[in-house]
Amino acid sequence: MDKKPVLVVGGGIAGIQASIDLGSMGYKVYLVEKTAAIGGRMAQLDKTFPTNDCSICILAPKMIECARHENVELVTYAELQEVEPDGSGGYKVKILRKPRYVDIDKCTGCEECIEKCPIKADNEFNQKLDKRKAIYIPFAQAVPRKAVIDADICRYITQQKCGLCKKVCQAEAIDFDQKEEILEIDAGAVVLATGFDLYDISAMREYGYGQIKDVITAMQFERLICASGPSHGHLERPSDGEIPKSLAFIQCVGSRDQINNPYCSSVCCMHATKEAILANEHYPHLKPHIFYTDMRAVGKRFQDYVTRAHDQYNVEYVRSRPSKIVEDEETGNPVIYYEDTVSQTVKKKEFEMVVLCQALIPSVSHQELAKVLGVSLDSCGFITVPDKLFNPVDTDKEGIFACGFCQSPQDIPDSVVQASGCAARVAEYLAEVS
Amino acid sequence: MADVRVGVFICHCGTNIGGVVDVPSVVEYARALPNVIYAENNLYTCSEGGLASIREKIAEHNLNRVVVAACTPRTHEPLFKNTCEDAGLNRYLFEFVNIREHCSWIHMHAKDDATEKAKQLVAMGVAKVQWLQPQQEYEGDVLKASAVIGGGIAGMTSALSLANQGYEVHLIEREKELGGLVKSVNRLFPTNVDADKVITPIIEKAKANKNIRLHMPAELKDVKGFIGDFDVTIYENGADNVIKVGTIIVATGAQELKPDGFYNYGKMDNVVTQLDLEGKLKQDKKWIDDLAGVTMINCVGCRIPERTYCSRFCCITAIKNAWILREANPKAKVVVLHRDLMAYGVEFEEYYRKAMEAGVLFLRYNLDKPPQIIGKEKPEKIKIHDELTDSHLELPCDMVVLTTPLVSARDNEAVSKMLKVPLGDGMFFLEAHLKLRPVEFATDGVYVAGSARWPVDITESISQGYAAAAKAAIPMSSGKIKVEAITSFVNIGECIACGTCVLACPFNAISVVDTDGKMHAQVNEAMCKGCGTCVATCPSGAIQQKGCTDQQILCMIETLAGGL
Amino acid sequence: MIDNGFEPKILAFCCNWCSYAGADLAGVSRLQMPPNLRVIRVMCSGRVSVEWVIKAFSSGMDGVMVLGCHIGDCHYIDGNHRTKKRFVLLGKLLGALGIEPDRLCLDWVSASEGQKFQDVVTKFTSRVKELGPNPIVAA
Repeated sequence: MDKKPVLVVGGGIAGIQASIDLGSMGYKVYLVEKTAAIGGRMAQLDKTFPTNDCSICILAPKMIECARHENVELVTYAELQEVEPDGSGGYKVKILRKPRYVDIDKCTGCEECIEKCPIKADNEFNQKLDKRKAIYIPFAQAVPRKAVIDADICRYITQQKCGLCKKVCQAEAIDFDQKEEILEIDAGAVVLATGFDLYDISAMREYGYGQIKDVITAMQFERLICASGPSHGHLERPSDGEIPKSLAFIQCVGSRDQINNPYCSSVCCMHATKEAILANEHYPHLKPHIFYTDMRAVGKRFQDYVTRAHDQYNVEYVRSRPSKIVEDEETGNPVIYYEDTVSQTVKKKEFEMVVLCQALIPSVSHQELAKVLGVSLDSCGFITVPDKLFNPVDTDKEGIFACGFCQSPQDIPDSVVQASGCAARVAEYLAEVS
Repeated sequence: MADVRVGVFICHCGTNIGGVVDVPSVVEYARALPNVIYAENNLYTCSEGGLASIREKIAEHNLNRVVVAACTPRTHEPLFKNTCEDAGLNRYLFEFVNIREHCSWIHMHAKDDATEKAKQLVAMGVAKVQWLQPQQEYEGDVLKASAVIGGGIAGMTSALSLANQGYEVHLIEREKELGGLVKSVNRLFPTNVDADKVITPIIEKAKANKNIRLHMPAELKDVKGFIGDFDVTIYENGADNVIKVGTIIVATGAQELKPDGFYNYGKMDNVVTQLDLEGKLKQDKKWIDDLAGVTMINCVGCRIPERTYCSRFCCITAIKNAWILREANPKAKVVVLHRDLMAYGVEFEEYYRKAMEAGVLFLRYNLDKPPQIIGKEKPEKIKIHDELTDSHLELPCDMVVLTTPLVSARDNEAVSKMLKVPLGDGMFFLEAHLKLRPVEFATDGVYVAGSARWPVDITESISQGYAAAAKAAIPMSSGKIKVEAITSFVNIGECIACGTCVLACPFNAISVVDTDGKMHAQVNEAMCKGCGTCVATCPSGAIQQKGCTDQQILCMIETLAGGL
Repeated sequence: MIDNGFEPKILAFCCNWCSYAGADLAGVSRLQMPPNLRVIRVMCSGRVSVEWVIKAFSSGMDGVMVLGCHIGDCHYIDGNHRTKKRFVLLGKLLGALGIEPDRLCLDWVSASEGQKFQDVVTKFTSRVKELGPNPIVAA
């Protein structure tokens, strides 16, 4: 039986797992990733709860296995352009490969070009805590470890000046004439694994993000505490580069409310606990405070993790939902205002750094994706799974399946389970339609 | 050594290596090493040109060993091994030397030292490669049949998925009917659909599927073998029956904790568990009209020192049942006492909100001041301490529902021994890796799904059922497993059968066997992962690792010491 | 680092999944280190035989490092536990041979700890430099 190829959209851990499983089952897989490298959110984390495994250490072997798999073809820096049913249960897909202006067959990842490039931009991977160049490799362990040029800011592409990267590249890999390419495939089935984005909390002015320097997001915290991050694992305050003497986390920022997002992002209680543990591990003087509504530690070994955080890592859990953060006039430090429900009074506490555990929202690419694929999104923007109870990975279009955060808030193990689940569903589906 | 002919290829990697290490002098040095027939440098050995050169030179100089000195093997080793294979050379006669990440990049201002280091590293690589032997990768057959142990929702999902993919499935169920715990449930969150209406068709499908052989009732008795070739013995119809399968899925589920000793359970009428309540709700519902008040107490018997875990979906079960009761009798005082409300995600949070809007009262309590039931033979009132406001209230209550956790099934220990898979916290099955391999075991060919591994709800059980099916389908799809030839092997003559390696192996890959009267260790290549731990623990040096024998490493050490 | 004119010869055994990858990351990050170190790659630190370490010292190495995954993170589940236990024996054997305990280093470096690799190597090299040449060979 001629197996039709399978399209996997999204190169985070869910997409990577689905690709490896499908490839190992003998299907040809095209893994399409919109950024220049696979890895997704997991590559940005320092450690993962509750094992405190180094995130990139457990992710990298999977990334390499995926990239090297004889049946998996990585299509990075690419997006879905057109998807049409092919009349026999599958889909004719047009994938737009954006030009990297770098020939990835020639690029060796040596980074000489990056060293010489004069243009800088905010480093998205490091949550804008530092800069990258116009020509860049997304992160140190990126797969593929190949350079890409940001065409919007590259001096040569926009002004026909510079071109230093091309001059220094001994592999002759820079190609300013590179054009968009369309890759057409006839896929037997599609797996969506497009993950999540971070809710923009700058509009929540009551918390002062973007105004008060030492109020940061949880993802920024991850990059700071990570040994391969912009401060080499030192928790440096944005205001003065010093290590904070006090630290607080606020849960449910933009989640579980009527104005922002009604749902629970599922993983924040745990990642805040993890981050608090890491903070105290790095800096034993710290007594991290976590301001929470419900401490949702539902997974395997999660409850023990929270207990350990409290008993061994000096983490204090305060059951309260702060109403605002104000900048102290003298010190410039953030001051958290919260209700003490027992005394029914409003209290305030100053911290040298506050971490906002922002809501995690379905990837903003879903709006476009839904139009292209014809799948529905629910009112929050997640990919609709019509019968979540008994068909947890089937979308409302036959032959299209969804796994991981793109369809419902969940952590890494659940995403990986759903990814493998999609592989099984795809295999069933292809057996059925053939 | 008989006619070893080594070729050495040293990479400049543009200026990455060449800008620091004097590559031509390293090539000169390599040429003079023992058994080096040919040496060259390349601008980029990994480029098309570099690879072509390797292929050409293997042919031209009849090379039977290749050393590449370049970047880290973790990136390009398979590429170069493939290249050797393309040229007709066994891929295991190749050695990679790292002179970039481990040399030129970290000694950028010490060029002479870096060059010296590169020479020594190349010499070590050349010394090792001489002792490498051609290897064939182990290929084992995999029976395209699977045994699913447990006919609950997770087991049925796995069985149906594999059957639909075309595999033969043996579904083994201990009870007289399929369905497991779900059969006892009244309605299912978050849609409150009637459980029977949904589970019955699934059971019918499982029974009707021509690829599923149902063994019910049947008891698991013994398991022998390894991935691809398991002998599963079950006791069925009064006799033992041996089923031959390639993979096994464990879906044995869990059971509800009966909270003896908590809140007068078993001593007072109308103090029931959620599962008891589900049973009552499945029958007639007239009794709800007479209720003045129902209080549900969550986290009974869990999130306590004796049992620390959270059972994940009991909060939402309590919300569901509280909402059902409140809707059936809007006058009843329905209260849910909790210690954190685990309504995670999108649907559960919305469900929680709707239950609140319907008038269910949610209050926080803590273990220091637990609720007190007031009544003689059955509850009449309940005294509650609200943690958030530190105040007390007394409410009418004629039924108390204790929300208890799932605990591990009673025969997990027996099953774990039969399958040689471990148990972890709470005697639930322990997966290979909590984050990235949640439905696999360290032992290949055996997988786990559902509450056998950890309490999960139906949706999650089904997802895991599918996931385990996918994992089982992987080796079965090709009917073969291939193992990288870095496995251990035993020199039978030297082995004293002490069994130390058997204990050292994390994957149960070694056993002691008898060959013609001589007892010795034997490595099952299908299960060996190539860590080499057994080799280091062996007191007699009888077990060695392919590609990392003591001889190979010791000669590297000698070369390093000698050449200094 | 002291400058006593002595350049120690240091051998390190690094495991493929963690410490070797950590060393690679140190390289990618261009973290400079003293050039005394030579690395031999193994799949697991649990593979490192006592015989290898003895051989290294008796052949003239001045310092030996065994770097593996953090306990609990071993790619092969518990290989590194055995490494840890074996080190106790190794320490005694080396002591009997007259080799100072500081010449042997056991540490855990994950794949993301390029900085730690640099630290560990630099500190160890410095210490061995202080100790001077391997006593059993110099004798």
